[in-house]
Amino acid sequence: MDNILEVNNLKTSFITGNGIVRAVRGISLSIGRGESVGVVGESGCGKSVTMLSIMKLLDENAVINADSIVFDGIDLMKKNPKYMRSMQGNKIGMVFQDPLTSLNPLFTIGNQIMEPLKIHKNMTKQEAKDKAIKLLELVGIPSPESRLKQYPHEFSGGMRQRVMIAIAMSCDPSLLIADEPTTALDVTIQAQILELMTGLKDKFNTSIIMITHDLGVISNMCSKVVVMYGGLIVEEGPIDDIFYKTSHPYTEGLLKSIPKVTSNKKEKLVPINGSPPDLLNPPLGCPFADRCDYAMKICKNNLPSLIDVSDNHKSACWMLHTKARALKEGVSLSGR
Amino acid sequence: MEDKKVVLDVKDLKMYFNTTRGWFGKSKKYLKAVDGISFSINKGETYGLVGESGCGKTTVGRTILGLYEATAGEVIYDGVDIAKKNDKELFPYRKKMQMIFQDPMTSLDPIKTVGEIIGAPLTIHKIYSGKEKEEKVKELINLVGLKNDHINRYPHEFSGGQRQRIGIARALAVEPEFIVCDEPISSLDVSIQAQIMNILEEFQEQFGFSYLFISHDLSMIKHISHKVGVMYLGNLVEQATVDELYNNMQHPYTKSLMSAIPIADPISSRNSHRIILEGDVPSPLNPPSGCAFRTRCRYVEDICSKEKPVLKSINENHMVACHIIYN
Repeated sequence: MDNILEVNNLKTSFITGNGIVRAVRGISLSIGRGESVGVVGESGCGKSVTMLSIMKLLDENAVINADSIVFDGIDLMKKNPKYMRSMQGNKIGMVFQDPLTSLNPLFTIGNQIMEPLKIHKNMTKQEAKDKAIKLLELVGIPSPESRLKQYPHEFSGGMRQRVMIAIAMSCDPSLLIADEPTTALDVTIQAQILELMTGLKDKFNTSIIMITHDLGVISNMCSKVVVMYGGLIVEEGPIDDIFYKTSHPYTEGLLKSIPKVTSNKKEKLVPINGSPPDLLNPPLGCPFADRCDYAMKICKNNLPSLIDVSDNHKSACWMLHTKARALKEGVSLSGR
Repeated sequence: MEDKKVVLDVKDLKMYFNTTRGWFGKSKKYLKAVDGISFSINKGETYGLVGESGCGKTTVGRTILGLYEATAGEVIYDGVDIAKKNDKELFPYRKKMQMIFQDPMTSLDPIKTVGEIIGAPLTIHKIYSGKEKEEKVKELINLVGLKNDHINRYPHEFSGGQRQRIGIARALAVEPEFIVCDEPISSLDVSIQAQIMNILEEFQEQFGFSYLFISHDLSMIKHISHKVGVMYLGNLVEQATVDELYNNMQHPYTKSLMSAIPIADPISSRNSHRIILEGDVPSPLNPPSGCAFRTRCRYVEDICSKEKPVLKSINENHMVACHIIYN
């Protein structure tokens, strides 16, 4: 499988009144064609900033550095803003978390779906309208023709998110970035949206990057998972490896802190104590060291790099280092 | 279950909001947010109330506490009906019943220090003052896992999880017996959610609190509750003890709600068959006739649109409101 997107050593910082916030501190990832990758992590771990850096959608106080961001064979780091404009909403579609604030309340739904079609595909108004009707049908909105003339406030949350997906899918993107697309929705509506996205992915072979903090959504949608913490990737691998062969204490902590609906036993939840690091002043060593039960001396002062656990499964933890393994025989993550 | 003491008994509670427009209100219109709900909570136990947004679960919590004046029905707390009491008569009950709000960002006064926020209920109820109050605030803040030097800081200096701890400390200040937890964890990160859930559980064991736990998260509800009620459009559609409900759910709505939860386990989510509900929750301004769920139900029959199903017991721990199941 060749890759649609390859990010090498991306670093994004924000210059603020209080100093430099190092939101993303050197991450590399690759997304295959037709693959759906889940990016998990807590708020402030840099998952959204990573995606906005790839799209170059950040404010002027952001400094984006990367060795390369190769999308479909083209290095986006070398391209000017005008070229980026032609990619945004065209080859790369994006669905945001809150459909209420990401749709413009002053324009009709039709207007907003037709906009990218007119800009990127040079369609006439009539062509764009026909396509918009098809798109609304595709995302399951009944009576699309009359719905086109309505404003966002006339739609429910789930319907608005369908409209967002229709806009993102309008120019047949090769990559769809979905930033917490279902967080603001009820579970029954969430199930509808996830079903819709999976269907579209299979139909058009679109690659999907799914940003979420919900491990349930990930296990439904994705074949590969990237776990982020403190601006870094701490673990990545195929979904089953992440869930059943967990090799980073943070991933383990995430899995243990959610109750299981399927089990009948009442188990106490195991929270991760403390809170995430301040990225104004990122820690020298492993960002998770302060909250980690297994932390060693080396963890506080030296940053671990991603170590291969098995094929495609990597984890950034000193416990996986060959020397540490010899030292701490018998210490292993319980996994699930 | 019978020998346990009932702390709160809600009988046929109704809360209608007047949405009549125009000057003289030619035809009165009501939004029936809660349309006849009955349940009871035992001392030291948790009643979990689940449902989608707009189903009226928050309104139930607020009406019980007297934050809304109930349209009809009884709220019997410790043997006394408090639904029809005025503010002055309710005052002693405010001390016994507290609330933890959903959004810790907006439920704490931004211009007051944490010490003032937690101390306020102590002053209002004239429990402690001066040095004693300071001591009590320190004790509370330590109880929820914050430090003494946090007392003079302002809410914006804290993270979401810490703010929720402050909200809990404030609710605990007056040593209540019953706490309404209105989605206390839904705005928090997963790793922080577990911290807050554990605090709530520990306090229940330690102080014998009774909770009304309102949430849309069926897995958290299962984790913390003893008894669960499922709400849809202002009505309870199913109610049972937690084990009974999760092992033997009957109502089509509960089933689809349950199957809609994404399971954080790749193998079982690959093998599970999901029931995807079509459409949205109907508007409570114009609810469907008969059974409110019939517009999205797969098993709908003629009777569903004609008659509103009532909660009937199917065994001693389990009640369902569904025509299909009665037959």
